Amino acid sequence: MPIIQRFLTRFFIRFGLITFTLLALGPVIWAVVTSLLPLSSLTSHPIDLNPANVTVENYFLVFASSRGLVSGLINSLIIATFTSAVGLVIGSMAAYALARLNMPNSSRILMMILATQMFPGIVIVIPLFLVMSRTGLVDTHFGLIIVYLSFILPIVIWILKGFFESVPMELERAAAVDGASPFQTFRYIVLPISLPPLFATGVFAFIEAWNEFFFAIILTRIHVKTASIAIAEFSGQYQTLYGQMLASAVLASIPVVALAIIFRRFILEGFVEGAIKA
Amino acid sequence: MQTTNEYNRKRYRLGLWFVAPAVFVLLIVLAYPIFASLVLSFLRVRFAGQGLSFEFNGLNNYADLFRKDLFREALFRSVYYTVIEVVSVILLALLVALMLNHPLGRSAFYRVVLLVPWALAPVANAVLWKWIYNANYGILNQALRGLGAIEENIIWLGKPWLALNMILVADIWKAVPFIALLILAGLQNIPSYLYKAARLDGANAWQQFVHITLPGIKTTFVISIVLQSIWALKVFDLIYVLTKGSPADSTVLLNYLSWRETFSNLDIGYGAAIANVLFALMLMLALVYIRALRPRQTQAQGG
Repeated sequence: MPIIQRFLTRFFIRFGLITFTLLALGPVIWAVVTSLLPLSSLTSHPIDLNPANVTVENYFLVFASSRGLVSGLINSLIIATFTSAVGLVIGSMAAYALARLNMPNSSRILMMILATQMFPGIVIVIPLFLVMSRTGLVDTHFGLIIVYLSFILPIVIWILKGFFESVPMELERAAAVDGASPFQTFRYIVLPISLPPLFATGVFAFIEAWNEFFFAIILTRIHVKTASIAIAEFSGQYQTLYGQMLASAVLASIPVVALAIIFRRFILEGFVEGAIKA
Repeated sequence: MQTTNEYNRKRYRLGLWFVAPAVFVLLIVLAYPIFASLVLSFLRVRFAGQGLSFEFNGLNNYADLFRKDLFREALFRSVYYTVIEVVSVILLALLVALMLNHPLGRSAFYRVVLLVPWALAPVANAVLWKWIYNANYGILNQALRGLGAIEENIIWLGKPWLALNMILVADIWKAVPFIALLILAGLQNIPSYLYKAARLDGANAWQQFVHITLPGIKTTFVISIVLQSIWALKVFDLIYVLTKGSPADSTVLLNYLSWRETFSNLDIGYGAAIANVLFALMLMLALVYIRALRPRQTQAQGG
């Protein structure tokens, strides 16, 4: 009996894992495959999957056309890079202060910071839009970066605070005994050993900023349209150019999916566990 | 050598300087707008020439909420959407997490599989499903026709309830991986000696699941439910790309309605009122999250 039961359990789990993999990857693979086929193949009945028709024509057309994907990718790169860089600098300082510099009520401050993650963007974006239109910040990189800090900073502070707390106190005491000021301790002792988590947090912030859509659609007009905006507009205006629509979606996803896979260890250990541990 | 007191004072002063920039930015981009949004919801905002004119409007924007059918419908649909999404995502994610926690599912490959839908840009996800659901050429209709399940193509995004449910499917597909990772992390935090002890006592797999696994991931469960509810209430990108609220406003949910009233209909005060309702709903959920994250002793005190 136990042997049969064991066999059945293993069989169902194998079956479940295969189903799960197919369901998770199937739609993505389908998008990639169809982005490599010409429109004539996509619109024949049934769909013509003949490998002989595979072409990068859609990608070429997306790049060549003036529909904003290229400038969108550049804008997304600029905005995501600056958001994560500024977020890291300001956020690591605040995280260190909350973790180690005896801030009063630091746990309460931290909870408030975490709660800010849960505000609907629409609440903050209406007043921000009014202020930014008056100050000429709508449709600028600077304006969008500042607004993105509203959701990037809390994540950065949350993750890094957890890491700074794990830095051995003895290390900092030793530095203090040697006459290092608190700032020197942070700059020359804590920061250098924190480079891997700093970098990984930056990657996480980059992914979040790159993928953002809601603020971007409200706070950009012409000049700083992000890749997500370009794709959404493309899929609205040229919705019959399926191949190109998918090619642009694939292009905009490659950087973030690649980063997530490369830094999976950090995302799994650092961020995911951070969310369930106080 | 410096005295301990002096050193601690220095640390405190540095701490103030270190939190100052973050506090400054968060005051500008979070605290001020949240306050201003509350004020706006009591005003009537009009476009006057180049600028805007503000006029006190009392509780009229909120009273409008109850007068307008669309708000009630959007609220009802948002609740429906959130409940279905949370229940489906949690159950599917639990199933996936249990499989990935089994020795057969430990391979790093499955973790990578989980990260792909999660990392995908939400707009790219929406475009992907728009193509799958396409009435003429989409793979969904082709597959169902191939299997003989349907005779004629179904216009997935063309019928009121069907469209909303298809948006839900696309959203659930993208949301399951992250919650599965959360639950998986929770499962791995359960000490293995508990299972060993249970097996020694003769507990079968089901008993172990009910008496060790489920209690062990209770906190993770609460957090997952709260986070997923918040994300479901915020849904926007999928609606924007897939239906723009059509057919007949049947896929207009709260966040989308607030955006449309504010930025398309330019009824800024009313839009802010809807936003504040959404905000109140999420704030309650956020409080649950914070409670769940509290260190154990406060939970013990609370019972």
